[in-house]
Amino acid sequence: MPPAGDVPPSGAGATRRRLMLGAAAASTVVTIRPALAATVGSVMNCEVPVPDPRLGAGKWIDGRGQLVDAGTAGSFRPPNRPLKAEDIRKAMQGANFPGADYETSRAYMAYIRKLQNGMSGFTCYQSLQMPRA
Amino acid sequence: MPVYRVDPPACRLSVEAEGMTLLYHRPSGITHVLLPPAPEILTALADGPADPATLAARLAVSHAIGDGDGEDAAAVIAARLGELAAVGLVAVAPGIGGRVAG
Amino acid sequence: MRHAFSVRIGPVGFRVGSAWPQPIAAMRRLYAGYPPPRDGIADFTVRLEPTRPWRRWLRPSAMVRGDFTLPDAAPLPLAQGLLAAEMGMNLQMALGARRWLLLHASCVERDGRALLMSGHSGAGKSTLSALLGERGWRLLGDEFALLDPASGVIHPFPRPVSLKNEAIAVMAAEVAADRLGPLIPGTPKGDIRHLRPAADALARMDEPATPAMLLFPRFGASADVRPMGAIETFVRLTQASTNYVVLGEAGFAALTGLVRGVPAMAIDYPDTAAAIDLVERLWAETAR
Repeated sequence: MPPAGDVPPSGAGATRRRLMLGAAAASTVVTIRPALAATVGSVMNCEVPVPDPRLGAGKWIDGRGQLVDAGTAGSFRPPNRPLKAEDIRKAMQGANFPGADYETSRAYMAYIRKLQNGMSGFTCYQSLQMPRA
Repeated sequence: MPVYRVDPPACRLSVEAEGMTLLYHRPSGITHVLLPPAPEILTALADGPADPATLAARLAVSHAIGDGDGEDAAAVIAARLGELAAVGLVAVAPGIGGRVAG
Repeated sequence: MRHAFSVRIGPVGFRVGSAWPQPIAAMRRLYAGYPPPRDGIADFTVRLEPTRPWRRWLRPSAMVRGDFTLPDAAPLPLAQGLLAAEMGMNLQMALGARRWLLLHASCVERDGRALLMSGHSGAGKSTLSALLGERGWRLLGDEFALLDPASGVIHPFPRPVSLKNEAIAVMAAEVAADRLGPLIPGTPKGDIRHLRPAADALARMDEPATPAMLLFPRFGASADVRPMGAIETFVRLTQASTNYVVLGEAGFAALTGLVRGVPAMAIDYPDTAAAIDLVERLWAETAR
């Protein structure tokens, strides 16, 4: 195989284009995954119930964001109302939720970070993860 | 070495700019941004299923290959094929001694 | 619904129904001078409803419903009913529009050529387009630009501009008071007040424009301009589109056509006066 530079990139009469292969570890494909949630989120008001009432009615949240039985040591009573998008945005930057202390707020955020597609609040949280200065 | 195949060229719309390629894959409806040598590999693979070594030979006919970091061309092409398979732009050809690309 | 209002904004007809009279009355005032939907038929319907029947009277809050809805949507207090209606209309466009590639961008026009400004919320594109709309440009829209895949033109969608926080005073100093909607304090995005676009923006809402320049504005310490390549512009606009995926091949063709045909720049600006100067200078130098 000829070394790089043997053939000028666009010499007259050149029929073979030069191709740099690069390193095996390099990355050459970026797949575009449009952030529908980002744009939709920016035009809507949304909220996240903690926990999803279909999955954890009556459950409390432990420090890692897992649902546990009410009263479990080291767990926290869920908020009375779904958490508002703006409060989640602030909590993502370190603030506490209204009426909640530091540990409780971190537990709620741990739960929210574990949300999966199909769970209540997933779309809302997705919309908040998108950067917007 | 697995043998890869690619959809016919009509399945892809591509637009080149700034040394990169915007590629729309019709079967999946997904858009990708490709850097060389990924677009060239897709073009060469459209001539028929091939393993990395065969593709390296094909590309050496159509292109003057610069090996950049001195790695083996087939190894680099194998890595690129794995990457393209992961996003669904190529697939391991069934029944031609291939294995599922990981 | 007990109360309803229909309106046409550019090519799109909306019907907004409400369980309460207040949001509809506010819309009638804000949308004074807008035409009704063509043939009286709305493309999209938005409904403002109580979350529970008794919540029509007790601590009333408006849930936004319509042809297209979003999981996790939260109600807004009835006092913010006008905002709820506007959000509902945006959501119908974001999720339901199929005839155009929707770009989350503001857009103004001069001499038949359009300047598009895209960027994250809070980057000032809304304020900038509103100000330009008072200074010799025609406002095509402050929220969505409607890119026609077949022709490549931008269709006007001159909704009332949603002014937020500091932008309210900036524009109140600029326009007649009767063009401003009620001040809506304490919304999830702070204070909001809507601004009805200038009369020519409404009168010419059926007149499209050809894209000529793309800007990605943001606040910065000092004025700065960075040309942006077609690929980066393309990727950023896919992120700014609500229906790029839905449109499939037509969206790819429309967007690649736009980024190859129109110069794009990221601009920083320290204040709105500097931004206006910068936009005018770049337009004079660049727009073809």
